[in-house]
This record gives sequence, structure tokens and C-alpha cells, in this order.
Amino acid sequence: LASDKELSDFLKSVEKRAFKRAVYAVRNDDAALDIVQDAMIKLAEKYADRPAAELPLIFQRILSNATMDWFRREKVRNSVMQNMSDFEGSDEDGDFDLLESLHTLEDTLGTESAADAVSRAQILQRIDTEVAALPLRQREAFLLRYWEEFDVAETAAVMGCSEGSVKTHCSRAVHALSKALRAKGVTL
Amino acid sequence: MNHTIHLHPVTPPAGRPVGADALQARLGSRLAGGLTAMTATLPHDLSERLRVAREQAVARARQIRLARPAAAANVSLAGPSTVGGMGGAAVLRGGPGRVGTGGGDGLDSWSQWAGSFLPLLVLLAGLVLISQWSVREQVLVAAEIDSLLLADDLPPAAYADPGFGEYLRTSPPSLLAR
Repeated sequence: LASDKELSDFLKSVEKRAFKRAVYAVRNDDAALDIVQDAMIKLAEKYADRPAAELPLIFQRILSNATMDWFRREKVRNSVMQNMSDFEGSDEDGDFDLLESLHTLEDTLGTESAADAVSRAQILQRIDTEVAALPLRQREAFLLRYWEEFDVAETAAVMGCSEGSVKTHCSRAVHALSKALRAKGVTL
Repeated sequence: MNHTIHLHPVTPPAGRPVGADALQARLGSRLAGGLTAMTATLPHDLSERLRVAREQAVARARQIRLARPAAAANVSLAGPSTVGGMGGAAVLRGGPGRVGTGGGDGLDSWSQWAGSFLPLLVLLAGLVLISQWSVREQVLVAAEIDSLLLADDLPPAAYADPGFGEYLRTSPPSLLAR
């Protein structure tokens, strides 16, 4: 069983990422906070007796469901802010060089000086913006796989899709991000 | 002065992807590291609201955890099959100190049943009593009218006589009072 401290530590470790995930989805800080709070309470009420190791997967699933519930409520109010059918990304560019993007990004992020603080903030802001602009499923797959560090099977379990779909979404997301960021001079 | 952004490990979280997959995983991890750096600087009010939400969730979990043993203790105290082999607290919390199957649960379900249906039974009994009391009152009133009619000097047939009725309506009250 997860003790109070384990539960608290776990929530503390995921709360900011969970908030950002919700913000990416609903584009509203207050709504995102409500969603994260709902997910935390639900986890505490129904799954606090689970082993601490199981909490990350359960919490991400609850968070996804809470976000979907928010969209359903918004749909009822005829004010859906996100096009839920926009699951497919744009066509991929077969000639796009991922390795070049990686080198450029590592150079940009890894060797910044204090004089580049403004530039650094701009880079992070651009990454943030481009992640937010990803189609919903691609963004979910990308965040769960690379930010939450789930493996493909866990990501598929949280998203309720096949592992092949997760790989496709992740690939498209990374390519789209690389391309968009390079086009904006990161020099991604 | 160098400024390093804290990034997630470049190694992908699971598996050993090679080639394009490895590049994709590395780039994904780097981008996620950028997001982590971005998230680390959330505004103070948002961080505080997240902290409050977290504390509320932990308090709720603690509340539920404490409520469960109390509920188990109530069931054990109500059940007749609880024995004191393990000593006070252990017995009150149920588990190894409890023997027998279904004794406590049976009593508990009976009390739930009684709690649900007792008010209904009381209501039905009340309605039956009120009905019988009402019938008895009507019988008593009819008997009193009958006894008055039979004991009066005037024969009951007089009340069915239209002439006598007209006499009662037209005669002055002083004459009738005599």
C-alpha cells in the first residue's frame, strides 16, 4: 500500500507535468487546475490502497479520463475549444533529417551561456508552443512516452490504443516538432 | 557562464531502439527535457494551487484509510461470532480474531432490513388504527341519533311528514320552545 508520504511524493513529482498536460489539452489554466485536482482526489479516493509503483499509470489514466470528461461537459455547453477530430497530423516529409535536428537542438540547449538567457527562454517557449500545437493524440503519445517516460505498452494502455498506434503517433509528433522548431530558427 | 537546462536522460525509457528509432527517442527526450525546464518555472500562484490540491488529496486518502478500520470494528462488535483470542484491538479490527461465517453479516443485514421496513410497518399500522377509530366514531354517532329519536315524545314518522316539516318552518320560535 502507498503510504501518505508516498502518495504525497508521487503527486508532487507529477503535478506540474499533469498540469501542463491538461493545459495543452484544454488551453485554460483554471480548467486545467480543476482537472488535475479532480484526478488527484479520484486517485486518493479510489486507488490510494494500491502499491506506489502502480500509481503513475493509474494517475495518467485518470487524468486522461478527467480531461475527456471536461471536453464532454464543454460539448454539452456548446463551447468545445478543441477540435477532437483533429487526430491526424500533416503529411510527413520523407527527406527530413532527424539527426541534424538532434545535433542542432543539443547544441542549442546544452551549451547556453547566461548571455543567452533570453534566447533560452524563447527556445523553451517555442517548444512549449509547438507541443501545444500538436494534434491531440500525437501530443498525448509524445508526452506520455518521452515526458512521463512510459514505455510503449504503458503508453498504449493509458491511451487505450495499440502499441503500433503509439509508435506512429510518437514518430509523427517528434518529426513535426523537429520540423516546426527548425523552421523557427532553433534552428529547428 | 554556461547555463545548462535540466533534461531527462537522453536514453529512451524502455527498450533499445536503434537507428531512426534511437534518434527519435533521443530527440523526444531532449524536447521533453525542454518542457521540464519550462514547467519548473510555473507561476507561484499555480504552484500553490497545485500544492493545495495535492494536500487535499492526501488528506482525503488518509481520511478514507482511517475510516476503513473503524467500519470494520463496527461490524466486528455487532457480530455475535467475534472471539477475543487475539486481544482487544486485534479483535475489534476483525481479521484473524474473527471466527464463524456470516454471523455478523447476517445480523447487520437484518438490522438494515429492519431499518428500511420498520417505518413502513409503523405507517401501515397507524393507518389501520385511524381507519378503525373512524368507523367506530361513525357507529357511535349513529347510535346516539337513534337513541335520541326513539326516546323523544315525537314519533320518528313525524319527521317524514311534509306537513309537520312546514309547521316547524312557519311556527314562531317561542311556540316551538314550549
